[in-house]
Amino acid sequence: MIIAERKPFAEIKAMVAPYKKILIIGCGTCVAVCLAGGEKEVGLLASQLKLALGLEDKRLEIGEITVERQCDLEFLRPLCDFTADYEAIISMACGAGVQYLKQLCYLQPIFPGVNTSFIGVNNEPGYYTERCRACNHCYLGLTGGICPVTMCPKGLLNGPCGGTIQGRCEADPEKECAWSKIYHRLELEGSLDKMRRIMPLHPHDRSTTPGTVIHPAFKRRYGAHE
Amino acid sequence: MSKLQKTLAGGAFTVVVELKPPKGTQVAEMLAPVGALQDRVAAFALPDNEHARMRLAPWAAARLVKDAGAEPLVNLTCRDRNRLALESDLLGAAALGLENLLLVSGDYVTLGDHPQAKPVYDADSVQLLQIVQGLMAGQDSAGNPLKGNPVFFPGAVVIPEADPLAPQLLKFDKKVAAGAQFFVTPPVFDLERFRQFKEHMPSHPVKLLAGIKVLGADEVAQAAAGQWRKVYSLPPDLLAELSGKEAEEVLALGAAQAGRLLKQIKDEKLADGVYLKAKGRTDLMMRVLEAAGLQHKG
Repeated sequence: MIIAERKPFAEIKAMVAPYKKILIIGCGTCVAVCLAGGEKEVGLLASQLKLALGLEDKRLEIGEITVERQCDLEFLRPLCDFTADYEAIISMACGAGVQYLKQLCYLQPIFPGVNTSFIGVNNEPGYYTERCRACNHCYLGLTGGICPVTMCPKGLLNGPCGGTIQGRCEADPEKECAWSKIYHRLELEGSLDKMRRIMPLHPHDRSTTPGTVIHPAFKRRYGAHE
Repeated sequence: MSKLQKTLAGGAFTVVVELKPPKGTQVAEMLAPVGALQDRVAAFALPDNEHARMRLAPWAAARLVKDAGAEPLVNLTCRDRNRLALESDLLGAAALGLENLLLVSGDYVTLGDHPQAKPVYDADSVQLLQIVQGLMAGQDSAGNPLKGNPVFFPGAVVIPEADPLAPQLLKFDKKVAAGAQFFVTPPVFDLERFRQFKEHMPSHPVKLLAGIKVLGADEVAQAAAGQWRKVYSLPPDLLAELSGKEAEEVLALGAAQAGRLLKQIKDEKLADGVYLKAKGRTDLMMRVLEAAGLQHKG
């Protein structure tokens, strides 16, 4: 899922300083699971803003709503009428959700309430780690289920760099060297030959421009999109 | 064939000395060892933004070394250039008459002095070796033909004290398959570990230059404080000898010790030569070579 972190309060407060009536829109999927932008976090932010501005004798009217997914028109359309009453919107969704919401609510300024961090996993509530860079060219079948593009900070494709120290990563000693782990996994699988093959240069053209995926069924039904 | 390649092929013990390209345009200090030592060493290496710290471009520095009448060895990292820039710089190096290459992945950007820079690594060191082979065969990495093929003598790095060692050895094999003709190691201080590595090292017809380094007081202090994070180890008795001394005394003792190591590596034929890092200082380089009994080239 997409992992995000809420922006620092001071940054959000400064964003909405010019307005008297704002709407905070939460997203009930990924950012709710990672405790950054769901219904609870919308309520928390609204309370924080009210309290902080109250202490400065300022008034800010805040509306709160959370939709299932902000990256999906099905859930965004019903918001259109609702948002018209507000001067500005804070979206607590990931970057995709913020952009999609603005596509519909194009008259008001929109501000992101979170920083979108990565595609990752939920190790435990509150502890999330990155797993995928969405490079559109998956190597996992060749690398023992560990992504070298993501898990090696250098994104090396042919083995470890020279900076591994006691199996730890040169760039971040808190983390294990991805290629040491890949080697170990492939050894256990009995498929080290996969690592002996020289991997060619990565096809960056698969992810350098904004991506579009059209499902074959969609294509059959509607023809090429855009 | 480059002079370095000829020296190594001839079987003579080969000394490569690393220079320090400046952070700025004052090149006199960098070039000082060239005039003083060129009759004693086979080549002068030019690191490429070493430790991810921005300095004068290695190919430009290498050309200055060549103009001063000596043999340069250009280091090239994958960290700062995509494949277009790597290939373009390689052609540029060839046009400037630079043949010797040491091709490396490159220390990570966050460890250097521009920690917010974008890390590139479009190619890794194995792929960069393949790119070099392609250029020499008249093709860029996209398969386009070249007008005029460059000639290179490509080398790479291998880490004798890598932990774990097995993935490093596997990568060593890949680098050989991708065209590396010589290898340079990080500094060697523990000869016993180096001997063990040689036992594990797959047999290939490639040359090996062992790293020799003159330690500085800051490095000794770091190791003494238990904060040593390098891919090579420092024996405790060496640390004890160098700890608590004045900076220049550490360098003098370090140079003497580096010279002894160099001599031992030469005498025991543990490598085909050495790659000497001595802070870019002529006096330290001379002390090392004198301590090793290397008064003449080769």
